[in-house]
Amino acid sequence: MKKIKKMILRQSLQNRIVHWGVAVSTFALIISGMFQMPVSKRYMINELPLMAWSGDYHISLIMHYVGAFSLIFFVAFHLFFHIARAEFDIFPKKGDGVKSLKIIKAMLFGGVEPKSEKYLPEQRLAYFFIGLVLLLLISTGLIKTAKNLAGWNLSEGLYFWSAQLHNLGMILIILGIIGHLAAFIFKANRPLLRAMFSGKVDANYIKERHSLWEEGVKMADKES
Amino acid sequence: MQRRKFLKSLALSPILVAGAGANLDFSKIKGKASIIDLDRCDGCTSFDVPKCVSACKEKNAARFPKPVEEIPNYFPRKINEDYSQKQNDISRLSPYNWTFVEAVEVNSKKVFIPRRCMHCDDPTCQKICPFGVISKDKNNAVNIDENFCFGGAKCRDVCPWGIPQRQAGVGIYLKIAPKLAGGGAMFKCDMCADLLAEGKKPACETQCPKNAIIFDDKAKILNLVEKAKKQGKFIYGDTQNGGTSTFYISSVDFAKIDEAIAKKYENTGQVGRPHMKVKVDNFINEDSTLIKGVLTAPLVGVVAGAIAVAKARKIKKEEL
Repeated sequence: MKKIKKMILRQSLQNRIVHWGVAVSTFALIISGMFQMPVSKRYMINELPLMAWSGDYHISLIMHYVGAFSLIFFVAFHLFFHIARAEFDIFPKKGDGVKSLKIIKAMLFGGVEPKSEKYLPEQRLAYFFIGLVLLLLISTGLIKTAKNLAGWNLSEGLYFWSAQLHNLGMILIILGIIGHLAAFIFKANRPLLRAMFSGKVDANYIKERHSLWEEGVKMADKES
Repeated sequence: MQRRKFLKSLALSPILVAGAGANLDFSKIKGKASIIDLDRCDGCTSFDVPKCVSACKEKNAARFPKPVEEIPNYFPRKINEDYSQKQNDISRLSPYNWTFVEAVEVNSKKVFIPRRCMHCDDPTCQKICPFGVISKDKNNAVNIDENFCFGGAKCRDVCPWGIPQRQAGVGIYLKIAPKLAGGGAMFKCDMCADLLAEGKKPACETQCPKNAIIFDDKAKILNLVEKAKKQGKFIYGDTQNGGTSTFYISSVDFAKIDEAIAKKYENTGQVGRPHMKVKVDNFINEDSTLIKGVLTAPLVGVVAGAIAVAKARKIKKEEL
């Protein structure tokens, strides 16, 4: 008979909504942002079935505005909520770089991982990197958006650098997402991916891997 | 309370930053503008080349593109836009010809129309350039920086008149991704921004033998436009694309002029030969509700966050 796993809540519904809200918005922004570049007609993407819209800058601009509103809303909500409640579990801690390397080494070649809190050190670093890039994209994007208001004409330097940094941000966020998804190449990380859908993780997994997460361990003990 | 204020200011800071850098000298009534009087322009038929065209070519010769010998194609397509062998073609706008004179016949009357950039109030080319290399100065001159232009030709696609023209084999793309991205640099009239900045007149105005082209303070130009309207003249450039700094004045209806232009090129295509459609919308201005929505998103997010925080506190209190 299959043993039923005891599950504990790791990600609240609110966290999951914010996470997927940011993810979906970011993907919509990357796609529409790409089509704000002169690539669709050149690479004949607009000639593919159902892709004619990609060659129309106005359509992709509207899509970009909608995605931007959604992303900024979720990011502002997330920052306010957690700063107001002084919840900084996911902020990088001293020594996260070294610990991340040890964990990756253990996943690749076996061996004992350093104990983790609620979040793995590489998760904290990834969050910080992606968060900073998103803030860069949002701030430069807002400047670029304000410029589009009728009657507005920004200073040449501000507009030029906003555009350059926004484009750089797009490259960095794509790299960040690739890095974020690459984490799930490792089998050990997959329960965390499932937790982003269901919110729950195996109690034993928490005890083994996140033994420094006091609240999680308490919940796991209750379930056992 | 203090924290709330601080977070609100954080959410609004990008907008404040943008505002701080905004050049609000520009407006629909400030800077410079021009009138092109079609009742005066005779197309310089007694000259080999219309004077405004030759003056423009002479003034801007140093800025004309000098492409590399081996011009790369626009991968995966097997084409590139090269006008270097047609530098003397004055029948259309090109990277080597920033002004051209259109000639049509309307009701047996010859009409000559010098065409160039309209220098819009809200230039779609400038606002939508993905590299931010198109500027609009305090004289309302819209200028492409060919040294940083990637030549994606997006500005031409979003310009209602398709004014900017591309030359391949020049520009920064050659140093970055000559095969995969970019396509040269874009070129168009810059209103002789350097001359205007020195308080001088643009080349096309000084060389026009008929005084058909006048540059002046926008307020003065608008007065002249109003006078022409009262005289029953047709105006082009006042409402098109949300307003411009170029005003065509004519006794002939522009709708008829546009019909004649369309008929003239119905079999040859109209690239580099702008239309004169009377209804021209500025698609960026149309999105003002969406734009304002995006700009308020940080505040909306913070308000929602505050509600969520209050709700969480309430739940915690009830549990205790």
